[in-house]
Parts: sequence; structure tokens; C-alpha cells
Amino acid sequence: MVQVAVQPERQARRKLGGRHVRIVAGVAVSLLFLFPVFWMVMTSFKQQVDIFTTPPKLFFTPTFSTYAEYLQRADIVRRLINTVIVAVGAGVLSIIVGAMSGYALARIKLRGAHTFGLLILLSRGVPPIALAVPMFLVARKMGLADQHITLILAYCTFLIPYVMWLMRSFFVSLPRELEESAMIDGCSRYGAFFKIIVPISMPGLLSTLIFSMILAWEELLFALVLTNRFASTMPVAIAGIAGDTVNGANWAALTAVGTITVIPVVIFALLVQKWLIQGLADGATKG
Amino acid sequence: MSTVDLINVRKSYGSVEVLHGISLHIADGEFVALVGPSGCGKSTLLRMIAGLEDVTSGEIMIGDRVVNDVAPKDRDIAMVFQNYALYPHMNVRDNMGFALKQRRVPRAEIEARVLNAGRILGLEALLDRKPRALSGGQRQRVAMGRAIVRDPNVFLFDEPLSNLDAKLRVQMRSEIKELHQRLGTTTIYVTHDQVEAMTLADRVVVMNGGVVEQEGPPLELYDRPRTAFVAAFIGSPPMNFLGGTMVDRSVLELKDGTRLQLPAPDPQNRSRVTIGVRPEHFVLASDGWPATVSIVEPTGSETQITARLGGHLIRILVRGRTDAKPGDSIRLTVPADLMHMFDSASAPEVAATEDA
Repeated sequence: MVQVAVQPERQARRKLGGRHVRIVAGVAVSLLFLFPVFWMVMTSFKQQVDIFTTPPKLFFTPTFSTYAEYLQRADIVRRLINTVIVAVGAGVLSIIVGAMSGYALARIKLRGAHTFGLLILLSRGVPPIALAVPMFLVARKMGLADQHITLILAYCTFLIPYVMWLMRSFFVSLPRELEESAMIDGCSRYGAFFKIIVPISMPGLLSTLIFSMILAWEELLFALVLTNRFASTMPVAIAGIAGDTVNGANWAALTAVGTITVIPVVIFALLVQKWLIQGLADGATKG
Repeated sequence: MSTVDLINVRKSYGSVEVLHGISLHIADGEFVALVGPSGCGKSTLLRMIAGLEDVTSGEIMIGDRVVNDVAPKDRDIAMVFQNYALYPHMNVRDNMGFALKQRRVPRAEIEARVLNAGRILGLEALLDRKPRALSGGQRQRVAMGRAIVRDPNVFLFDEPLSNLDAKLRVQMRSEIKELHQRLGTTTIYVTHDQVEAMTLADRVVVMNGGVVEQEGPPLELYDRPRTAFVAAFIGSPPMNFLGGTMVDRSVLELKDGTRLQLPAPDPQNRSRVTIGVRPEHFVLASDGWPATVSIVEPTGSETQITARLGGHLIRILVRGRTDAKPGDSIRLTVPADLMHMFDSASAPEVAATEDA
């Protein structure tokens, strides 16, 4: 972009001022978001006696006993595996279906396509709780209760509209001539999509995939209703511990299992953050 | 290589017809420019030939095959887009070889053809670069390279030079012309720039409002424009128009009452006529139409004079230099064979130069 270099000094000063404001705001927002996480992680290393002291202790002898106990429990390990299966399954399925339908909405002239797309989006306006019970009844009737695939499909009901509309706006921003050129060069519509559009849209597709997977990872309501033992996920385990108040709330267990749930997401996000940031920033620009 | 025939081609979007029956024969190896103002339908027509837009009615033939329902990939055409449409994730080599790869041409042959095209266009050193690391002119060349490696039946160009700066545009124009002379591939070239159309094409098709106004070799359009629209569109600076009433078969009275003795009578003896004179065809003389100089713009090789003639502002182009100064009275004559006459009714654009 052409920028006229007027009053460089003033511009520099304004830039500097903006920088300070941004740093302060960034730190404040980070603290706001990270404090509960910090508190959770800290509590998970405390013994029961340390948890209930007032004022709360910042320094204490950490214990790994809660982690040791819960990581040895078969149901927790199985739920962790279940969560991975369901999050990856729902993320991948929704990105495949959502991206293709988003492309169709962006490019292919179909009568009523826009209305149809809006209806799909509007379906997200229905409170999930209203859907959970009917879904359970359908799943049971089909013999699919407590199966991974059930949860994956249930998650797709809210992930696909999200992916579809996100990817639609991404595809709309790409120049149409790219596909036209590919189609003249010997591709069918599908060929142009997979050979040209998908590679160009990789950052957008990946960041959408990551968000979808995180949404599926942390979902509680459907997991609670649609699964029982075999396919149930980590959020269900946390809810179970939170609900088990026979001997008072088991804060150590709750925070330890919470931490176990969050850590894979954090590691994953760190691994893909390059893609995530690039994808978010690239969204509006041409390929 | 191949001929292209359009037979009464029409295009509608819903109930709006944008192309009203275009018929055109393009000979094998010919370079045809479609030119016209924006919205005249020239790009739509080109996209229909490419197969990117449906044909509402009529037939499009490439060679002796009707291609109305043939997919773009099966028409054996190559197209260069205004924004180049290079694949951003592929380097220059892969961009140029993509079409051949789709056709399962052996790898060694793709490599040879890409290298050859790269050599023709001076892109050898850039083959491993991504499009974003290229300048506008280089991208333009890659887009052309992508077309020529294909060795297609027909080249289609959609305003390929519009995104370049003026100097590069002139240079690329020569390169396109040279390329056509070298390859001899049938070429259809869309542009809104009449200079581009005139300099490049064997034949120019002037379009306006979804119809062909006139087609012919460039100089024929310049010398014998059939309508005032073509007369106004072709030539730079544009033709001057003077409209008025004929008081005699060879005397035109302008709106302000100025009477001009025409060098030739109106053969059709109309009562209202608009005459057209190109700026370069006025002759400064001791006798003739009276005008007052208002602006003098010398460029060295020629001088452009803007003058007032009976309420109209007219442009005069004289070779070399002149002593004329603003405020001077001058006299103008026009050789009989260089004056054009049009029905006033058919010359709506003329209003633009009146009462300026």
C-alpha cells in the first residue's frame, strides 16, 4: 500500500503511544483470562487442607497425589481417548462437509441456495437443550446411544453451519478467475476446488478446523445426554466430579481433571499457533 | 489453430438481454479485438466463447464443432485474465505446466515446453519463484506463458494490460503483437482501449450496448466509421462533432447561428446533420471556418489547439509547431474526403462536445 510520509515524527510518537496502550490492554486482558486457569492449576496441586485455608495460600507444598490417582483410573484415560476421537472426528467431518457446502454457497448459482444457507445458520438459534433429548431418543432407537459416531454427528449439527459460513466468506474473497482459469486449464469444478481452492485456503481451513475441534473438545451438554460409559468425554467426567458432593466438593479432583482436559488443547494450540494466527490474518486477503 | 464462428449469439440475465444477436466469423490465425465502452458486453461475449458463461441462444463454433455445451476444459482454448489469475501456491514453472499436467502430458515434455515458453517470454530466471515475488509485468508474462505452453486452438485475452502502468502497457502490447506474429494462433482480444485494439488487431469489432456497431480492419474504422459512435470511439484525441440544420445542401447552420460552408454537399439532403472532423484533419488556412483559440498545448512533434467555433469547443492537432496564441482568430478548412456526416438523431454522444 502506498503511504504518504507526512509528519514522520508525529506519526512515530503516535505509534509509540499506541504501543503502550496496546501492551497495557494486552496484559490486562491476558490476566483476566489467565487468572482462573492459574487458580485451577494451583488448586490441583494442593492438598485438601490447603485448599480451604483463608486467606488462600499462595505458597504450599505441592502434591501430585490427585493427578496420580485420577490418571490411573481407567475411566479417565478412556474418556481422554474418547474426547480425542470425538473432537478429531467432529472437526474433520465438519470441515469437509462445511467447506464444500460453503464453497457451493459462495460460487455456484443455485435457486434458493442463500435461503437454504440462512436456514442452516438459523438452526443454530435453537437452544441445544431442546435438541439434546430428541437426539437421544433417535439415537437410542437406532441403537446408536453411547457411540462415538453419535456424538460426532451431534457436534456436526452445530459445527457445520459455523464452518460453512466462515468458509463461505473466505471463498467469496478469493478471485473467481482462479477457478475459471483452472477450469480452462483442464479441471472440472471439483478439480478446481481440490487442486486450486483448497491449497490456497489451507490457512483458513486449518484455523477453522482447530476452532471446531476445540469446540467439540469442551462440549458438555450433548456428551452428557448422548453418552453413558463407553463414549463419554472429559467434560462429562468433570461434571460427574462436580456433582459428587457427598463429602463436600472435591476441589482437588475437579481442578486436576480440569487441568488434564485443558493441557492437550494448550499443547495443540501451541503447535498450530503459526497456522492459527496466519489463518485469522489471511482470511480477508486474496490468495 | 482454428476458426471461431458466432452465429446470432444472445445472452440474457433473467429478463434482461445484454447481447442482442452477435454474428462474427473469425478466420484461422486472425487477431480480432473486441472493443467498446464498459458494459457493452465484450467481456461477456469472450467469457461465452471460453465457456464460462452459458449461451442463451445462438451458436458458438470453434473449428467446425458447436461448443455451446462443451465444458471450458474441452474447448482447447487458453485465456489470459485481467488480474492474471496465477495460482498463488505454485511457482512459475508449475503455473505454466499446470494445464499440461491436467492433460497428462509426459513430464519431460512439460518441462521442455515450459522452458521454451520461458525463453520466449524471458522468464527463465524466474521459473522457481512464486507469483507474489513477481512484479506486475512479470506476472503478466507468466499468464501469457501459461497460455502459450498449451498451444491451444484459440487465445482469449480479457483486458490483459489494464493493470499495468502506461509504459509497461506499451511494451507488453508490442510483445503480444510479436507473439502473435510468431505463433499465428487465432486470437480474440477484449479491451476498452481503442489504441490497443487498433495497434494489435487485424480486425477490430466495435461493440456498444450489446450489438456490433462496426467491424473491419483498424484503418477502415478510422477512415470510414459508419456511425457517430464508432467515429467518436476510434481515434485519439477523439473526433470533433458539430451538429446543426442544413440551410442549403452544403451549408450547415450551428445552434448559435454560425454558418459553415461544407467542403462537400450532403448526398442524402437531410435537414439536420452532424458533421465529424478528426483533430488532425483540420487545416489552418487564410480563409474558412472562423474559430478563436483558447488553449495551445505543444508536445514538440505536434501541437494541440483547443478553439471555440460557433459555441462548440473543438480540438485541432497540427504537425510541428504553430504561432497561434490564446485569443487569436484562426480560420479552418477540412478536405472534402476527410469530413464525415452523420444523422443527428444517431449521434447522441455528440452532445458531450457541444456547448462546452
